[in-house]
Order: sequence, then structure tokens, then C-alpha cells
Amino acid sequence: MTTARDPTIPPPRRLKPWNAVERGLARVGITGRMLVLIAPLLWLLVFFLVPLAVVFGISLTSKQFGRPPYTPLLTSEDGMVQLTLHLNNYIRLFTDNLYVAAYLSSIRIAAIATIITLLVGYPMAYAIARAPDRWRNILLMLVVLPFFTSFLLRVYALTGFMRGNGVINQFLGLFGVEPLVMMQTDFAVYVGIVYTYLPFMILPLYTTLVKLDVSLFEASADLGARPIHTFLFVTLPLSLPGIIAGSMLVFIPAIGEFVIPSLLGGPETLMIGRVLWDEFFSATNWPRASAVAVAMLVVVVVPIMLLQRAQGAVVEK
Amino acid sequence: MAKKPQLAIDTRPWRDTANNKPFVRIRNVSKKFGDIIAVDDVSLDIYKSELFCLLGGSGSGKSTLLRMLAGFENPTSGAIEIDGQDMTAVPPYDRPVNMMFQSYALFPHMSVEQNIAYGLKRDGLPRAEINARVEELLALVKLGDYGKRKPHQLSGGQRQRVALARALAKRPKLLLLDEPLGALDKKLREETQFELVKIQESLGVTFIVVTHDQEEAMTLATRIGVMNQGEIVMVGEPTDIYEFPNSRFVANFIGSANMVEGVVSEDEPDHIRIRSSELGCDIYVGHGVDCAPEQRLWWAIRPEKMVLSREKPAGLNGANVATGIVEEIAYLGDISVYQIALESGKRLRVSQTNSVRGNPDAITWEETVYVSWDEDAGSVLTS
Repeated sequence: MTTARDPTIPPPRRLKPWNAVERGLARVGITGRMLVLIAPLLWLLVFFLVPLAVVFGISLTSKQFGRPPYTPLLTSEDGMVQLTLHLNNYIRLFTDNLYVAAYLSSIRIAAIATIITLLVGYPMAYAIARAPDRWRNILLMLVVLPFFTSFLLRVYALTGFMRGNGVINQFLGLFGVEPLVMMQTDFAVYVGIVYTYLPFMILPLYTTLVKLDVSLFEASADLGARPIHTFLFVTLPLSLPGIIAGSMLVFIPAIGEFVIPSLLGGPETLMIGRVLWDEFFSATNWPRASAVAVAMLVVVVVPIMLLQRAQGAVVEK
Repeated sequence: MAKKPQLAIDTRPWRDTANNKPFVRIRNVSKKFGDIIAVDDVSLDIYKSELFCLLGGSGSGKSTLLRMLAGFENPTSGAIEIDGQDMTAVPPYDRPVNMMFQSYALFPHMSVEQNIAYGLKRDGLPRAEINARVEELLALVKLGDYGKRKPHQLSGGQRQRVALARALAKRPKLLLLDEPLGALDKKLREETQFELVKIQESLGVTFIVVTHDQEEAMTLATRIGVMNQGEIVMVGEPTDIYEFPNSRFVANFIGSANMVEGVVSEDEPDHIRIRSSELGCDIYVGHGVDCAPEQRLWWAIRPEKMVLSREKPAGLNGANVATGIVEEIAYLGDISVYQIALESGKRLRVSQTNSVRGNPDAITWEETVYVSWDEDAGSVLTS
């Protein structure tokens, strides 16, 4: 699209203070559209890229006692600036089994929790999408309602259900069942993740399912497909974008989850978020902790970005 | 094409109900949605190889009736029989019926071929057989080169043909079509109409078509069922519906008609005479009508059934001649439609064929003219 204006036609006279600003900016080659784009870019730069660079910088230093608790990257001596990069933090990540195990365990727990969330959330999203119009918004409200209370409080509340003399065990006790050990296990972590992240799964699934034309299901049934086949061959493939979006929204934060494993999980629940916390606050090893964080970003985010690009290509068709 | 495709069986089985069993029997079917009665006690017999049109305005219940035939809705009361089988408890996926949806409902994530093969795959046919059938259908709807495309890469007319091919794939005994041409533009619609009839005739499949377009119904149908407010008000061949409407609703809904109110002044077995103050003359009808003297009734006449003249015609027994002034003329090329204002204020629409090229002597505005008609030109309607 060309915006070049015929020089013989004078621009329309508008007496707005914006005009002067706009003309001034245009003189240095900045248009309104650029301004709109600059705002989020600036936000990302200040609150994401700069901190990330700082973390990356710290990860290349070495631990020392003092404040800050790491060696400076740049030192000046006799008018010479010296850049010291310590790579041993990263080397330790690969050589110390704790980190590799924590990464793998985090990915495993997050993946299993995502699958459970999907299995629980899909029927709920489907039911809401197929509910009568006047019910839909109420049901969606109910899905979002837990967000109105503190996340921490909700996770604590789960302990009240699952602990030795909690609600569930007291109920089972009525039937003479021995108390089950649920707290401080992986089971409790799964319950916590599924419970807190369920809305993030339901909402994107709902938005894709509600848009599906009912006549597609009818056409499938009309052509001889039993309900299970209609689901497998029509509903499921067409809701794939929602499944992927919801799974990402659950999987990514679940990997780095710290609160749930530390409140509900036991000593054997190894997750990278806890390792990170321990490095920072117990061992006060900022460089190591930063290296853990950067490695997590690479390990998790890069494959996900590739996956999303592949999905984008599929959805575009 | 070398020769006209042979019709599978006699095309007019409904004229001989004693010897022909209906293929689809709809018996006293009603459908209520809450307090709303969508379909009200409809009974209808449709015969094999018919192309039956359900014609009605929006909310007339025609689509609901179609959806009950497909099995997407269950009748509140009554029964539907297809090929002698009661369909009441049969789910859509077990019915020998396929439907072409108004929105086409093509699966967006599947190619044209996969769409057409969908029903065949559900039946577990061998792959080779499916491929052969898909090819055959693509050829039938003239989309041979489009098999690998996705629906969104097709034009509206091509999608319509894919939908038709998909619905025909399983060789259904009965094909239901919901506004099959509704989404196409006028020119494409006219072409497709004839193609649809050709396909229907060559395959001998029974078609039930729902449409709100009376022109479409007239072109396509062997018989038309006119629906209004959930009821079937008339069933008949297109000519019956047009020439012999049974009620004011049908006369007004199909084509245009001049509707005149009158009172019976003579009631004889071989003719009746209607006194009409609206026309300013009597109407002489050359056949007996089931009515009583002094009964109020209606008389409907199509615009093309009347003749305009400058000189007063003889008339029939002193009736069937009205006089008025030409108020409007719509020149449509082949015909001209005249609007004649009668003395009573009633306006008649009369159409005349423009048989003389550029006729300089044509009747024009503000002329006083006589309108006359034959003794059987109009329909006497008592409801």
C-alpha cells in the first residue's frame, strides 16, 4: 500500500495537538503504526530481554562471598578491561547428576500432569461448548472462579484434603479404610498441578470447540459414523489447535513450578524449580542458579518454539 | 449426450396410489420445541425416484421435517417410515438416508477425496473399492482434477458439488437436500438446477429438497409440498400448484395472483356467478363449485390469464369484463406487466406478451382499458 501523497493536493487541515507531534515524528521517519509496535517491543526489552541478559551474565560468573555474591564479569586493572567468563557452571549442569535428573523429572511430571489435565479438561470444555447459550457464560465463570482466590491459598487448601487426617481420609475412615498417604508424594503434585492449571486447559479448548459448526457432526453421523468415530475423525482433529494451545499453557509453567512441589511434594519429588530455589536461597550460589535457569529456557523453550512453528504451518494449511 | 437417460420407473407413481407403495411415509408427524409447534400433524407419502420439494417460507417447518427424516430430530408424535421400515428409533448413522447440508458441512481438515470417501470408510469398504467410487463421483460432479484440494480452496459452486458427491457416495435410497442451491449466485443456480435434475434422473435416487425459492421448486420438482406454519397446505405437481391452488395462501405464495373477494349470486351445477364490488363486474365461472348462495369467497387469477383491450369485449353472459386505467407499466422485455386501477380502488396486475417488435400502438399510461378473462381462467377459493 502506498501512502505517498500527491504534492499538489494540500493535506487536510486538522487542528489537533496530535498533528504537530505526528508531523514531527514523520519528519524523522516514525509513523503511528511504528509507535504502536514500539510499545510492546519496549516492554519486552525492559522486562524480559534485559533481565534475561543479566541472568545470562551472572551464569557466566563464579560464586564468591560478598555482595553481590558473584564475581564481576568485567574487571579493570591498569587501565585494561578484562572480561572473565566462567563456564564451569554449565559444565557442572551436565556432569552433576542432580541437574540432569531434575530436568528430566520436571519434564516427566509436567508432561504427565498435562496429559491428565487434558483428559479432565477436554470433556469439561466440550460440555460447556455444547451447553445451552444461557448456561455457557455461567459455566465459564465457574471455571475461572478459583482465580479470584490466591493461588497459594488454594494449594494449601489441598493439603487439608489430602493429609493423614484430612477430609478424604476421614471419609474413607467411615468405611474402615486405612488412611492413605497422599501428601508428600508425586500423586499430590499431580493433583496440585491439574487442579491449579485446569482453567488454562479448558479455556483454549472451549474457544476452539465452541466455534465448530454443529452441522459437521451431523454430517459425520449422517454419513454413517458412530459418535465415537465422529469424535475421533472430526471433533478431535478440528480441536487440535485448542489441544496444543492448552497443553502449552499447562506444560510450560508446570515445568518450572516451585510452589506446588514444595508444598505438596515429598523429598523425592525432584523438580527444577525447587533446585533453582535451593541454589539461590540455600546455597546462595547465584551463578549456578542462573545457569540452571538459562539451561531450562534452552531445554524447554526451543523445542516448544519449533513445535509451535510446525503447528502454525499445519493450521495455516 | 447421445440419448436422454432412461427413467428408472414411471415418473408419476403418485397418480396411481392403488398400485404403488410409497417409499417414504410420514404419518401424523408433529414436532414441538417447548411451546412452539414446528411441524403440525404432517402426513405425506413420497414415492421412489421422486424429486419432491418441500416449499415454504422461513419458520414453516420444512427444515425441521427434513431433519426428522435424517434423524437429527425425533418427532414428538407420529412415525416416519422409509422403504417400509419404521425409522423412529433408528439413529442417523444407521439410516439409509444421506443429506446435503445448506452450509455443505464439508470437513475443513480433509481433502475433497477424503470428504467423499468419509462415509465409505465408515462402512469399512476395501480401499480399492473406495478409490474407484470416489473417482466415479468426482467424474459425476465434474471435479476430476480437484480431488487433492481442501474445501477452502474451492469456489462456492465447487463446494456444492463436493457436498453432493459426498452425499451420493453411499448410494443412499433417499437423498435429503437442504436449500441445495441457496448459497449460489443466480446464474450458477440456474445451471446447477438442471444438472441436479439430470443426476437425479440418471441415478433414480429419491430426492427430497427443501427450498424457500418457488422458482427453484417449480424447476426441480416432480411434486411440491407447500408448507405454512408447520402444516402441509397443498401437495401437487408444479402445474397443479400454480394453476389450481387450493387456498389463498398457496395462490399468493406461488407466483403472483390477483385476489378478489366476492359473494356467490348464482350457484348452479355447471357454473357459478360471483358478484364482486371490487372488480365492478360479475365473475362467471364455467364449472360447479362446492358453495352456497350468498357465500363470501375469493377468486384468484394469474396476471397472464387476462387480456387487455381498448374496445369493450363481448364478455361472458354479461360478466368477466372489468374496466380501469393503466397506472403503471413494467417492461420486462418478453412481457409487460400492467397495473390497472379499477374504479373501486382495487388494482389488477395484467401481463401481456410483447409479440410485436417495438409496438408503437402498445397500450400506454393513463389509458382506459378493458380487462377480460375466460370462464376457467381463475380459481375459486373458499379458504
